[in-house]
Amino acid sequence: MTVKVLIVDARPERSRALEQALHEAGFDVVTRADEHDDLYAIMTRVTPDAVIIDAALPSRDTLEHMGQLGRRFPKPMIMLAEEETPNLTREATSVGVSAYVVEDVQPALVRSMVNVAIASFEAHRALKGELTKTQTTLSQRRTIERAKSQLMETHAFSEDAAYQWLRKHAMNRRLTIHEVAQAVLASDDVGS
Amino acid sequence: MNDRRIPRGEWPSPERDTLTLGMLPLNDAAPLVVARERGLFAAHGLDVTLHVESSWAGLRDAMQLGLLEGAQMLPLMPLASTLGLDGRPTPMLSALTLNLGGNAITVSNALYASMQAAEPEAMMQAPISARALAAVVRQRRTAGQTALRFASVYPFSSHHYQLRYWLAEGGVDPDRDLELRVVPPPLVAEQLEAGWLDGYCVGEPWNTLAARRESGRVLIGSHAIWQHGQEKVFAVREAWADAHPAAHRALLRALLEACAWLDRPAQRVEAARVMCEKGYLDVPPNVVEESMAAGDTPAPHGVSVFHRHAANFPWRSHLAWYADQMRRWQHLNVEESVLKACLARCVRPDLFREAADDLGFNYPLVDTKREGEHATEWPLAGCRGAIAMGSDLLLGGGHFSGRDDDSES
Repeated sequence: MTVKVLIVDARPERSRALEQALHEAGFDVVTRADEHDDLYAIMTRVTPDAVIIDAALPSRDTLEHMGQLGRRFPKPMIMLAEEETPNLTREATSVGVSAYVVEDVQPALVRSMVNVAIASFEAHRALKGELTKTQTTLSQRRTIERAKSQLMETHAFSEDAAYQWLRKHAMNRRLTIHEVAQAVLASDDVGS
Repeated sequence: MNDRRIPRGEWPSPERDTLTLGMLPLNDAAPLVVARERGLFAAHGLDVTLHVESSWAGLRDAMQLGLLEGAQMLPLMPLASTLGLDGRPTPMLSALTLNLGGNAITVSNALYASMQAAEPEAMMQAPISARALAAVVRQRRTAGQTALRFASVYPFSSHHYQLRYWLAEGGVDPDRDLELRVVPPPLVAEQLEAGWLDGYCVGEPWNTLAARRESGRVLIGSHAIWQHGQEKVFAVREAWADAHPAAHRALLRALLEACAWLDRPAQRVEAARVMCEKGYLDVPPNVVEESMAAGDTPAPHGVSVFHRHAANFPWRSHLAWYADQMRRWQHLNVEESVLKACLARCVRPDLFREAADDLGFNYPLVDTKREGEHATEWPLAGCRGAIAMGSDLLLGGGHFSGRDDDSES
């Protein structure tokens, strides 16, 4: 059987590359979707045998629900009975790949598909220097800290005053602290 | 009365001091963030890293794969994991509740208008029942229109069963009359605006954020569905807890102190700042502050109780209530004896009491309580004197005996 795969990824460049790699490995990528598409409609329409989704997308929980709805919908990979599943899932998790598979896909095909996705995500990350979810949180925190330091330096603010400055601008512009911090650092780059 | 307080020097030292805990970017992860950022974990000899996960599924995977030692979880997740309903069968337990309440049900502006037109009287009542929704459902069926869509956040979520409880109480059959979906909280507001969803039940800061965007109307908070109902728990793998009893106990002590600290509204505002400043919650700071600071009396939506009313005590009857709801909707088809044994494994008041004794905190002497009995605060015997318990009414006047073999609801 040809395994029909749906890719859910917010990064078009990466999902295009993954589609190509899966195609070359003999999989049939039925469509690519992102976070803002209606996954219920797509899943019902294309009835994929498997889904590869960026693990950083909250929409994974939608796929969990569909997996509970019945046999025809793919189940999270960690549920597969194979002995090596935990290791493969761990490896996939570390590069930000999550997979969902219907029960009757052969284990060897599942392994092959997930390995292609892992390699593809890793290659993309090496190329783009993109961050994992955990690194993103840390990087946001560093951005906020750097913006505060800069405000403390340029305006002779205390740390608290620097936070209040960020907070005020976030409120006025309906932004998050991280977004304002990014703007602060960017404006300095322009100025220097 | 037990007045024993174990002096700090006699606390068993953790078997492991470097731990990674998981959380979702939600207000009620505050106890974990506060325990980390205010140095409470460190004071109990633990070096804790917090991983912010993007989905409950991701957090479940990380727990089942052993990438995390513990995590903020939905109350049903340890049970579902132990029974093998959610991911890989992995026994998990909780010995501490992080908070009570904090969810709300919101509908689109269009549905709100239809509900008002259909049953204006029902919409004047507080709390707003689903009766007007039932009328809209009947009208739509007669007109041959598609079913309305409502979302919660995860199949095994408190939100899912609170939503079903509210719907059923107003005469809406969630399986026959509606299409129920799962949509992650960061996406619900835009899907409501896009017309893909007609309503949803989520937690904070997402209701406050949607209310600010004026994308929908908040109808009822979870406190009005189940007063002081359990919301999130702190969970660990059973095998990990068995192998690391002292580290688990130290985690519980630090979290208990963090929850007590969060009891004061002014400190919750400080916690909101820490969550935004340290990158845990990427949401406008005023939204987090507003939803964290909400007053001490049950408000229309969004009030989390982090400590008072024995909020942190892991009541066997709380999980039994959720399990009973799962059974009510035929989501739990296991034998009575299996369920009973799992409920006993998944909720561990005995471990809570050890940690509370270390700190000299009060706790209830019993493991279960009845729900739907008290409209106001009531006294309950504790090991260090009476505890002021919160109200516990269920919408529509339901009762729950608290036993895990109870079937009334």
